[in-house]
Amino acid sequence: MSYLLRRIAFYVLTAWAAITINFFVPRLIPGDPVQALISKQRGQLNADAIHSLYVLFGLDKQDPLWHQYVEYLGQLLRGDLGLSFTFFPSPVSEVISTSLPWTLALVGVTTVCSFLLGTGLGVLAGWRRGSWVDLVLPVTTFISSVPYFWFGLIMIELLAGPNSFFPSSGGYDPGVVPGWDIDFIGSAVQHSLLPALTILISSMSGWILSMRNMMVTVSSEDYITVAHAKGLTDRRVMLGYAARNALLPNVSGFALSLGLIVGGTLLVEIVFSYPGVGFQLFQAVGAKDYPLMQGIFLIITLSVLAANFIADLAYLVLDPRTRKEG
Amino acid sequence: MRVSRRVVFAVAGSLMAATALTACGGGGSTAKGNADGVLNVGMPNGPQTDNNNPYLSSSAANSLGYKNVIFEPLALFNKVKPTDDAKPWLATKWDWSNNYQTLTLTVRDNVKWSDGQAFSADDVKFTFDLLKATAGLNHNAIPFGDTTVSGSTVTATFTSPQFVNEYKILTDTPIVPKHQWSTFKDPATDPVKDPVGTGPFKLKTFTPQTVTLDVRSDYWKDAPKVKELRYTSYTDNNAQATALATGACEWAFAFIPNAKQVFVSKDPAHNQLYFPPDLAGHGLWFNTTKAPFDNPALRQAINMVINRDDIFNQGESGYFYPPITNITGIPTPAGNSFLAPEYKSQDVKVDVAGAKAKLTGAGFTFDGNTLKDPTGKPVTMTLSDPAGWSDYQTDLEIIKDNVSKIGITATVDKANQDAWTKNVDTGNFDAVLHWTDGGATPYQLYKSIMDGDLYKPVGTPGVNGNYGRFQNADATAALKAYASAADDAGRTAAMNKLQKIFVDNMPVALTSASNLGGEYSTKNWTGWPTNDNPYADAHPTLPGALDVILNLKPAA
Repeated sequence: MSYLLRRIAFYVLTAWAAITINFFVPRLIPGDPVQALISKQRGQLNADAIHSLYVLFGLDKQDPLWHQYVEYLGQLLRGDLGLSFTFFPSPVSEVISTSLPWTLALVGVTTVCSFLLGTGLGVLAGWRRGSWVDLVLPVTTFISSVPYFWFGLIMIELLAGPNSFFPSSGGYDPGVVPGWDIDFIGSAVQHSLLPALTILISSMSGWILSMRNMMVTVSSEDYITVAHAKGLTDRRVMLGYAARNALLPNVSGFALSLGLIVGGTLLVEIVFSYPGVGFQLFQAVGAKDYPLMQGIFLIITLSVLAANFIADLAYLVLDPRTRKEG
Repeated sequence: MRVSRRVVFAVAGSLMAATALTACGGGGSTAKGNADGVLNVGMPNGPQTDNNNPYLSSSAANSLGYKNVIFEPLALFNKVKPTDDAKPWLATKWDWSNNYQTLTLTVRDNVKWSDGQAFSADDVKFTFDLLKATAGLNHNAIPFGDTTVSGSTVTATFTSPQFVNEYKILTDTPIVPKHQWSTFKDPATDPVKDPVGTGPFKLKTFTPQTVTLDVRSDYWKDAPKVKELRYTSYTDNNAQATALATGACEWAFAFIPNAKQVFVSKDPAHNQLYFPPDLAGHGLWFNTTKAPFDNPALRQAINMVINRDDIFNQGESGYFYPPITNITGIPTPAGNSFLAPEYKSQDVKVDVAGAKAKLTGAGFTFDGNTLKDPTGKPVTMTLSDPAGWSDYQTDLEIIKDNVSKIGITATVDKANQDAWTKNVDTGNFDAVLHWTDGGATPYQLYKSIMDGDLYKPVGTPGVNGNYGRFQNADATAALKAYASAADDAGRTAAMNKLQKIFVDNMPVALTSASNLGGEYSTKNWTGWPTNDNPYADAHPTLPGALDVILNLKPAA
C-alpha cells in the first residue's frame, strides 16, 4: 500500500511541475498573440484594431507574471481552462472538445491495431527463426527508421490528388454535416485512411522488433524445453508458454503509448491537416494562443501521467516481484 | 489461451473489415448545383468555433465573412471606387456637420430584425453607445461622443473630425439589435450563438467546417436569388485551391501560386480572378534612422531600380497584389482622384542610369561595381521577411537582383516569423517588405508610413505603423491638417503636400497594392463585379460582399 501512496505522491508532484512548465514556456516565446494575429492577416487587419484586441485578450494590463501564474492555478482548480485567443471568446475546453474526438479515434484505433498486429507478427518472427519470416526483420528495421511525417508526405504525393479516392487534407468532406449518418462516417473514414495507414506502418515495426527479441530470449528458457518434452503442440508452446512470458515489456509499452494517443501524432496531423489535437496545438503555437496551448499541454500531460499510473498498476498485478515490500 | 487468441484476432479482423466497408460506402456529398439556389463560399481558415459576434475578428462570422449577410451597415461605400457616393442602406440619408464631428442620419422604415421585431433608431444609438463603452469591441477605435435619438433621426457626435473614418462608421459598423444585445452580460465575450440581424440571410446550421445560411422571406429589399449560402472553411490554401479548381467552391479569397494554371485554366470560360487594388500598399520599408538608409537619395535610387512588373508577375503570380506604379505610392486607379497635378502621370520606370546619377549627385561614389556611401563605406543591405511568406521571399530575391545593378550588395534573410515581427516592432532591420494601413483615402496609407505621432525610437517596441522610424514634422502636420480640414480645398492642399514629402523622402518603396479581390466562378451564378463593372469589391469577408450576393443571378 505504501508503494501505491509513494507513486501517487510522485504523480502529484510531476503534475504540478508539468503545469508550471506549461505556464511559463509559452510566455518565453518571442511575440504576443496580437502581433501574431496582425502578421497573419498581413494588412487585412487595421492598426486601429490593435488596441481593442489587447483590451479583449486582457493583455492591456501589466500584470506581473507570478500573479498571472497564481491566478492560472486558481482557475485550474475550478476546472476552468480560460478563453482561447484564436477563437475568442470560445472557452478552451470547447475548442479542445471539437478536436479531441478526431485524435482519439484516429490515433486510438491505429495504436490498438498496430499493437495487436505488431505483437502478433513479432511472436511469429521470434518463434520461426531461420525461416522466411526472418525477412520481416530488415524490412521493419528499415521502416521504423523512416520518419513517419516524411512517409506521410510520400503517401500524399503518390496516392492523393484532385481526382484521387484519397483526400490529402481535412477530417471530412466540406459540406457534410457531422452526425451519426452514413455520409459523414463514410467521409470521415475515407479521410482517415491515409493518415491511419501512415501511423500504422511506421509504428507497427517497433512492436515487431521488441516482441521478436523477447521471444528469442524466452525460447531458450528451460521451461520451453520442458514444454516441448511433454509433447505439447508447437502452437501451444509458442502462445501459452513463450509469448505469454515475452509479452510483459510490450504490455507496459502499450500502456505508455495509450497516454501518447491524446498528444496525437502531431506531425501526421500537420501533414494531413487533420483536425485533431496535434494540428490545433500547431496552430495555437503559431498564434501565440497561450490559453489554448496550456489547455492542450495540460491534457497531454495528464493523460501521459494517467497512462503511466495504469502501467504501474498493471505491473503490480502482472509481476509479483513489484508487490514485495522492502 | 486459445480462446483469447481467437478473441484478439476476431477483434482485429472486425475492426479492419469495418474500416474497409465504410470506406467503400463513403463517397461524400459533393456541392449541389444551382437547382436549389446554393452559393458555395470558401475561406482557407481552418476549423471554426460557433461564434457569430460581428465585432470580434476571431469569430467565425468574421473569419468566413457571413456576418455581412446577417448584420447590415448604415450605408455601403464601394471600396474599389472610394470617392463614389455610398449606397443608402439602413440609413436613408446622412449629413455631417460641425467639421465632421456631428453625424445626423435618418434610419429606414419597414426594416425587420430576423426575429420579427422592428428595427429602429434606438438600435443605431445602442450600437454606437456599445462601441463607445466597450473598448474591446471598438475595432476601428472610433472616438464616439454622445448619441441622441428623435423619431427616426439619430444624431451622433464624435470627439474629433471623422472625415477619414467615414467608411468605418457608415460601412464597417454593423448595426446590432438592442433587444437582444442589451441582455448580454458582457457583449465583448459573447459568442452570439443565435445571431439576429437585419440582413437577407439567417443562420441555419453551424459545423466547425461549414456554416449554412437560409434566405429570409421578410427581407426589406428585393429577395435575393441566392436561396442558401454555404461558407466552408478549408484547412489550408491548398485545399481551398483544389475546391476552387473542381468547382466545389464558387467564391473565395486565397493566395494561389500559379492561379492561372491551377484555377483559371480548369474552366477558362467561368473561372475568374478579380483583384482590384485597395488604397493600401506593400513595399520595401527602410530603416530611416540607420546610415546609409537615412539618406533620401539612396532610398529614391533604390525605388528607381525596383522592377515592379517582375514582382507582380513572379512574386504575386500575376494577379494577387496589383503593382503600384505612381511615384507617390498611391495605388491607381482607385486613388486617381487624389493625385497631385505634378505627379498625375509620373510613373516609376526602371532607370538604372538615372539612379546612378542621383547617387553620385548626393555624394555616393562607385568603386568599380561597388557603391560607396559619402563616408567611403560600401553599401550593403539585409532584406528580411519570414521564411514561410513565399511571395514576399520571391519579391525580395527580385529586389536583391535589382539593387545589385547600382552596386549594392544585398542579402536575403529568411527570418523566423516571431523574431521578424519583434525586429520590425523595435526597428532592428535594414529593410523589410511590409504592408501599410488602408482606408477610403490615401490618408491611412501615408499616416502609417510618415506619422510622427506613431514614432518610437529604435529599440522601443509597440509601434502601430511608422516601422521605418520616419521623422518629418511637416508630414505629421500635413496629416493632422488633412484629418481635420474644414473643406475639400484644405484637404486637397494637405494631400498634395503629403505626396511631395513622400516623393522627396521615399521612406518606403511601395511596390504593390493590397487587393479587394476574390476568385469566383460564373458557371452557376452571374452578376459578379468585374473590371468593367466594379460596383463592389469581391472579398467574401468585406462588407461589399453583401452587395455582391444581392446582385447574383442564376446563370442561364
